[in-house]
Amino acid sequence: MTVTEGLHMTVLGDARATPRRTALICLMLGAALLASIVLVSLFGSERLPASESLCTLFSLGRRGCGLSAAQTAILMDIRLPRILLAAAVGASLAAAGASYQALLRNPLAEPYLLGISNGAAVGTMLSLVFLGQFAFARPLLAFGGALLATLLVYRLAAGRTGTTPERLILSGVIVTTFLSSVIVFVTTLLDATRIRSFTFWLLGDLSGSAGNLLIVSIVVSILCTTVLSFHARSLNLLMLGERDAFDLGVEVSRVRFTVFIVASLLVGSSVASSGSVGYVGLVVPHLVRLSFGSDNRLTIPAAALLGAMFVVIADTLARTLIAPRELPVGAITAIIGAPLFIYLLRRG
Amino acid sequence: MQLWNAREKAFGRMSGCKSPADSPFRQKRGSSGLLRFQPQKILVVLLLLSLGCALGCSNLRDPPASVPGQRAFTDEAGRLVHVPPRIERLVSLAPNLTETVYAIGAGQRLVGNTTYCDYPEEAKHVAKVGDTLQPSVERILALRPQLILISTASQLEAFTQQLNDQNISVYVTDPRDLEGVYRSILNLGQLLNQEKEAMALTATLRLRTEAVERAVANRQPVKLFYQLSAEPLYTAGRDAFVTDIIRRAGGKSVTAEVPGAWPKYSAESALASQAEAIILPTGGSMGEANAAVAGPLRLSPAFTNGKIYKINDDHLTRPGPRAVEGLEALARALHPEAFNK
Repeated sequence: MTVTEGLHMTVLGDARATPRRTALICLMLGAALLASIVLVSLFGSERLPASESLCTLFSLGRRGCGLSAAQTAILMDIRLPRILLAAAVGASLAAAGASYQALLRNPLAEPYLLGISNGAAVGTMLSLVFLGQFAFARPLLAFGGALLATLLVYRLAAGRTGTTPERLILSGVIVTTFLSSVIVFVTTLLDATRIRSFTFWLLGDLSGSAGNLLIVSIVVSILCTTVLSFHARSLNLLMLGERDAFDLGVEVSRVRFTVFIVASLLVGSSVASSGSVGYVGLVVPHLVRLSFGSDNRLTIPAAALLGAMFVVIADTLARTLIAPRELPVGAITAIIGAPLFIYLLRRG
Repeated sequence: MQLWNAREKAFGRMSGCKSPADSPFRQKRGSSGLLRFQPQKILVVLLLLSLGCALGCSNLRDPPASVPGQRAFTDEAGRLVHVPPRIERLVSLAPNLTETVYAIGAGQRLVGNTTYCDYPEEAKHVAKVGDTLQPSVERILALRPQLILISTASQLEAFTQQLNDQNISVYVTDPRDLEGVYRSILNLGQLLNQEKEAMALTATLRLRTEAVERAVANRQPVKLFYQLSAEPLYTAGRDAFVTDIIRRAGGKSVTAEVPGAWPKYSAESALASQAEAIILPTGGSMGEANAAVAGPLRLSPAFTNGKIYKINDDHLTRPGPRAVEGLEALARALHPEAFNK
């Protein structure tokens, strides 16, 4: 047992995740995620025959399996990409939330609370208003907005005595309110036809899953969650406090910077493709910590998998509850998430 | 924040209150609170005042059943409206009503309209009181109108009460289909003493509509999808004005039975409907924002067969006289052979 492993024992007690336990839980959650993706792809505003749909899904659309061309298109070109986007967005938001909470040692730290989602929203809005014809501008500006908001929060929080979690959260609140006003200001200037789509988008909407944003979201969510998981050991030690972590050999400022950038990439890509889906980054990591303990080496990947499942199920409800009309997925996650969070708060 | 809201509400009510009986009471109580600089007390006093004012002012809101020298109308929302014998100054808060006012020859009496009112050309140079979503009450009051026209098409019903409180006559029109447009035109004709012009206009519009309906009468209706916006995918539902236009133009909207006027629609249902044509309302106020078919619909037979029709959105979505132009354009697009004689 190495020294840091011993420290993990001290910090985390029984909650310490052995590599075997981590692998086991992640495998189980991964299997559950896959199962839920397959299951919900049988539901939609259009009813498709179940066994033929499963056959088409498992052959990845290469075999007809008795579905008509239009039905195959509905399943493979419309429904499945949307479910995969939901998974990518859920994984991104939950992993980002878990990392922020560990980094700031604040259970309420969340992309929204820190203003990072709003930064991404402003970036996306600007690209919609001024660069509507360039599809690639959207994720780029969203990431840029998230990054700028992150840096702004970070700068504001850096006082003479260093960055305290309290200062960081307070700066986040200030940046959030400022950017919210920018959003209100610009939406007021927009013409009515654009406002309609934009207000829907602000509530979180996964219907625009066509195009290359899906690939970007999936790649970003997998890569960034992996990077964050590699920093989980340092995040565990940071839970002792920054000075102690520094004494134990953690490059505090480098870790903090990397985690911030990577997490804002996650937030930027998810906001660009789906708007602001709330509560995922708050509720899912808490649920994971309550069930499996707070060792970040387990929390971050497990939160990503569970978050993916959460949004996949929430979006299925959004697609089917009032079909053929649709609800914004953000409304569903908030309706499920807020009571769940109150329950978790009272239990914890 | 809440405190601030409550105060603003209290102030709002106070400014609306014109009863002289209230004012000494207000000054006395208000000033004693201010002298002692106790914010809680001021708040309580303001709340009490607002309550008293709300009770006291409520009498002012109900218009008397008849006013001497004024004409009484029941508007299309069922409200009683009193207007002077001849209206010289009116404000229109909807582009379709602005177009109607000009079409029946009362354009010179229009002293204010919205930023969306862009037709005819003269309408652009009339004083703007804001857009149809947030008109400015102050600007409207400053124009001293005798009548304000509101259309349910621009969802300003909530605004009606606010203007009513200022003792300005508000007439609400509620055109839901082409028949409703004719009715609104005739009603505005009576209101503005332009009956003859209004009747002539509706007669012409009816003739043109009937000509279109005759031309497409024996043809198979074309199943079509109306794409209001691509991302997110919005369409026209049961309550949309354009659904009636589509039916008359020899089309069959696949979303004609969906509840609501402008529902957000499932992409897979849109594709499953196997629409033979896709209508893109574009080129008017919408600009080129809706000029491309939504990604999922590019897999539809309508797209592969090139049956994509761009129709000026102002003609399709504004329930005014130009709606007949939209009807004609749509019918020509759906049934070209019916008009090539």
